[in-house]
Amino acid sequence: MTLFGPLSKYKRLLNRETAKIMCCYTQNFTYVDSLSKQHNDCNALQTVSEDLSGITPFFPKTFNLAAYVNNSETLKKLVNLNVNLSEIEKKPYVVEKILKLDFEKDMKQHIIFLNDFVGLEEMGNFLTKNPLILCEPINDLQVRVNYLESKGFKYDQVKKVISANPFWLMLSTVRIDRRLGYYQNYLSLCGKEVRYLATKQPKLITYNLHHIRTNMFVIKEEMGFEDSELKNMVLNKPRLLMLNQKSLLQRFNFIHQVMKIPHKTILEQPEILLCRNFKVKQRHLFLNKLGRSQYDPKKENYVPIKALVEKPDTEFCRQFAKCSVNDFNLFLKTL
Amino acid sequence: MVKFRSAALAFKSLNGVICVYKPSCVSVKQVQHTIRTNLCRDLNALPDRPIEQRVEIIGPTNAPMEVKLVPNYADNPLVCGPRYIKDDFRCRVASHLGLFSSGVLLLGLNEGTTLTYQIHAGRPTRAYKVHGQLGKATNTYFWNGKTVERTTYNHVTREKIDGVVAHIQAAHQRTMFELSGLHMESQTTYELASKGLIRPAESKLPVVYGIKCVSFEPPNFTLEIQSVNEYDKYLWTLVHDLGIQLKSSAHCTGVQCIRQGKFELELALLRKHWTLEHLTNNMKICHKLLEDNLQLLKPESAVMMQ
Repeated sequence: MTLFGPLSKYKRLLNRETAKIMCCYTQNFTYVDSLSKQHNDCNALQTVSEDLSGITPFFPKTFNLAAYVNNSETLKKLVNLNVNLSEIEKKPYVVEKILKLDFEKDMKQHIIFLNDFVGLEEMGNFLTKNPLILCEPINDLQVRVNYLESKGFKYDQVKKVISANPFWLMLSTVRIDRRLGYYQNYLSLCGKEVRYLATKQPKLITYNLHHIRTNMFVIKEEMGFEDSELKNMVLNKPRLLMLNQKSLLQRFNFIHQVMKIPHKTILEQPEILLCRNFKVKQRHLFLNKLGRSQYDPKKENYVPIKALVEKPDTEFCRQFAKCSVNDFNLFLKTL
Repeated sequence: MVKFRSAALAFKSLNGVICVYKPSCVSVKQVQHTIRTNLCRDLNALPDRPIEQRVEIIGPTNAPMEVKLVPNYADNPLVCGPRYIKDDFRCRVASHLGLFSSGVLLLGLNEGTTLTYQIHAGRPTRAYKVHGQLGKATNTYFWNGKTVERTTYNHVTREKIDGVVAHIQAAHQRTMFELSGLHMESQTTYELASKGLIRPAESKLPVVYGIKCVSFEPPNFTLEIQSVNEYDKYLWTLVHDLGIQLKSSAHCTGVQCIRQGKFELELALLRKHWTLEHLTNNMKICHKLLEDNLQLLKPESAVMMQ
């Protein structure tokens, strides 16, 4: 008979936000009736010749999946696939659905299907991010993949799309179609470019559209880029549309107004907008202090603005600031 | 640099005070959060203890049962979560730095939180570099406020600033004796005062021990202030008052803490160095410093030590 370890072992886990109690399921009690009858007419120490291994106590109520994992083959198999159950249990409504599934019956087909696109190494990560995909009917998933193929996505592209964005297959073809259409219309992309964008950053397609709209507004109206420039930037660095609009504007303001970098240069090297502001700021201030903040390629001692974002500090100091890292560190302590 | 063999050893060594450089526009809470999450990240990457075994007795109960030793799935980091989480670290500051201030910040980790409490109770002097600008006064006394007044500052010279600053310092000498909690005309006060500067008895009112203008390039100037019980807004008002006394106006453009007790700027760890190895190294140095200067934790008298 298997017993649970003391729950105090998971005391630390109990403190987590998973306040909602997960209810137990499974375990039929077939022997209970016969046992209680026996109990009435004989004493408790009497030996029983029947096999009692089927009788186990109820699963106690718990805040985490660790209490169930030793008794559930399904959960064990998920762990063997490298699925992080501690991440999943942060959302109790997901856990409720996952606990009702059986590995052989409900999950196996899905995992075999996904294996073609995701690969076994990435499967754990994929299922950790989106465990609810196991609850979708497999025909729907097939339809969604077929839709992508019908739109001219090659097998490699479909693979990249699905593995990079675990939530893609959750959206119905109608929604995906509408979203692809939105990007195509708004950025006036051709079919090839839409496919390129969707493959380069699949998360962008399923992202919150309100957020995307606001970021497009920030780039176009507040920063003052043209429509075609917006298109180029998004195709080059799609993550720009997924940034927080406030910090995006803050970065731009520093680069454009303090460092006096024209729009054209930013357009050529949009990665500078992806870097956190304090990094650009401290490197720029350091170069400024040394008198090396010269970002015009036509003049001598040119420092490309890429240098402010890329490479570790040692490399940056050696190549562009022409001094040792210690000097840079000393400078940082005066800010 | 110390290389740790196991995460448990590393975690045990993380008891003490660390000295970090707080950047401006990052709150103390955020600093604590970053340090704790970084420590968890590094500890979880270190070699872990083996997964616990679990005894399972299986088979029908009316026949000989089988006893097996199997790995306990419930102990797998994938199931019970990472070994070290943020809540495992207690973290506390010795003295608060405001959102816009930067500089030396003392943090106690785990058992070190008692030390930070003692350091705080010992009231160490803190040295600040306060940057100000003449010609503009704002409603918050800081650069982020609304401008309420603009004035000329051509008449302000280095000598005038030095004069006003010396006056402020002298005025604070008197409050220093008043806050000592002793009767002003007693023999004890005389004996204390003859030994030099003294610490305040309570932690409510700011006392400035030294204030000096270290650079003056109109309209910008920098003051160096040594004080106890101060807070960032108080330093801003000092700059504002200085502007008024100079018959101009001024606002503060930055506050940087350059020393806390014996903890100097060189010791402070920059944001990019907030990793397990650097932090444990720093903790050792801080520990040695505290052992050499026990008066930081338990000052014997109210007289300031050098």
